[in-house]
Amino acid sequence: MAISFEHVTYTYQAGTPMAHTAIEDVSFSVPDHGYLAIIGHTGSGKSTLIQQLNALFKPTAGEIHVDDFTVTPSTTNADLKPLRQHVGMVFQFPESQLFEETIRKDIAFGPQNFGMSEADANALADEMLTTVGLDASYAERSPFELSGGQMRRVAIAGVLAMRPQVLVLDEPTAGLDPQGRQAMMALFERLHREQGLTIVLVTHQMEDVAQYAEQVAVMREGKLVKFGQPREVFADSEWLRANQLDVPRAAQFAQRLAQRGVTWEHLPLTAEQLADQIAAQWPAKGADHV
Amino acid sequence: MANIIEVKHLSYKYGEEQQPALKDVSFDVHAGEWLAIVGHNGSGKSTLAKSLDGLLPFTEGTVTVDGVQLTPETVWDVRSKIGMIFQNPDNQFVGATVEDDVAFGLENRQTPRSAMLPRVKAALAEVGMAEFAQREPSSLSGGQKQRVALAGIVAIAPEILILDEATSMLDPQGRSDMLALVRQLRERQHLTVISITHDIDEAAGADRILVIDDGQLIEEAQPATIFARGEGLVEMGLDLPFTAKLKQALQQRGITPPAGYQTTAEMEEWLWQSLSNT
Repeated sequence: MAISFEHVTYTYQAGTPMAHTAIEDVSFSVPDHGYLAIIGHTGSGKSTLIQQLNALFKPTAGEIHVDDFTVTPSTTNADLKPLRQHVGMVFQFPESQLFEETIRKDIAFGPQNFGMSEADANALADEMLTTVGLDASYAERSPFELSGGQMRRVAIAGVLAMRPQVLVLDEPTAGLDPQGRQAMMALFERLHREQGLTIVLVTHQMEDVAQYAEQVAVMREGKLVKFGQPREVFADSEWLRANQLDVPRAAQFAQRLAQRGVTWEHLPLTAEQLADQIAAQWPAKGADHV
Repeated sequence: MANIIEVKHLSYKYGEEQQPALKDVSFDVHAGEWLAIVGHNGSGKSTLAKSLDGLLPFTEGTVTVDGVQLTPETVWDVRSKIGMIFQNPDNQFVGATVEDDVAFGLENRQTPRSAMLPRVKAALAEVGMAEFAQREPSSLSGGQKQRVALAGIVAIAPEILILDEATSMLDPQGRSDMLALVRQLRERQHLTVISITHDIDEAAGADRILVIDDGQLIEEAQPATIFARGEGLVEMGLDLPFTAKLKQALQQRGITPPAGYQTTAEMEEWLWQSLSNT
């Protein structure tokens, strides 16, 4: 298992009158090289949950395993450095964390902080620029001259320069235009497939969940209320709607046709899956000119 | 329909840049319509919106708002007719509390306090945020913040509302709530709405769409016409509507759907008839 949560509870300001339990008794696991999407409303505990993954918040109760690391309420901060290198966190609007004069220096900052020589860190920075779809010609430029989407790529390159095995993404496409969004999601998919990175994605984009995730966790009021493959989770569309969560467009469309008597072998989640099933039951030649 | 905004041969160049950000753009906005302006990042659409409000001094051309030609002398007059909401709600808060923030526009217009209080209250009620009047803006969610921004606009009752990607940072629920609210306000206050957007649903609700690319106005049409462009939509900075994606996928599998753009209901009807026709 790449990640497992065992009865994890986290309480903000525990032991004070201000105590507030943000996540409660959460258990789940993600296999090696998995791709987990976490969905749920604003305030449902998603962000608190992912911040347990590199122990920015340590659990108030329960245990977390990330590959060979274990975090418990008694884990001390001195033990956490290797874990923080192992789990790369991309927060919302990561471009707001850029600060260096040049793009190369910004990306090289993390590795140097973890003890890499300047020359090695610079070489690594140039390599990471290529990975995120920019190229070495950007290295000497100021990150602040770039467009919003490019700045975000630089920030992500800075996280990747730490060579994490788990990449945690908190709404990584928020505020990007559709083209930028697609390119960004394709980048994570490539890292997942080609480099075997375990991905944890917090998102409101159900289309992305349908297309990329292998597992889905649904959070509500600090509790894990559903966990499974996208197809299982989205099959219960009434429950999702009652929880004000969307169902992917293709699934909505298929369900309306199902109400009119069309049968599906399984619930399609993307336009491609829907088209496959339509083609499989398409009447032989001659009927497509209605 | 009368024109509430007339833009003629507008050009704009940022400082040292070689290429103008806007090149000879001309169009009209009809009173009471919902006009969407689309284009990919860097196409010039936000520059255009800022030019309408006199936030950027354009180099050539004229902008006339509600009969008043925009000049350095009339800029305050023109701004009193236009309310703008930007992408990031955190960049547009000035008040320490929600109600202070809503009152800001009225204070600038030197509205007497006795008139201001009921207007702030009414504006907050209008957007469903009355109970948050005393709250700190930073304690609100993104969607709530944009609603407060909208209340600030309701309070000054402009003729025109410009949304500059105002829903792009919201979650899906926040986005649809916000759009529903704008639609409501538009009815009640006879607002003209100009929305600069990448969101296909927001564009679909417009009466008309302008497409900007490379600083130029390249197209002006109704949503159905624009949505029939298929892959071309991505170049325009929009996503493909679901029906267009499905059509593409069906065509790849040798199935030929009807030409043109279909709404989801039309597509559903066509598929149901085809599939039950065995």
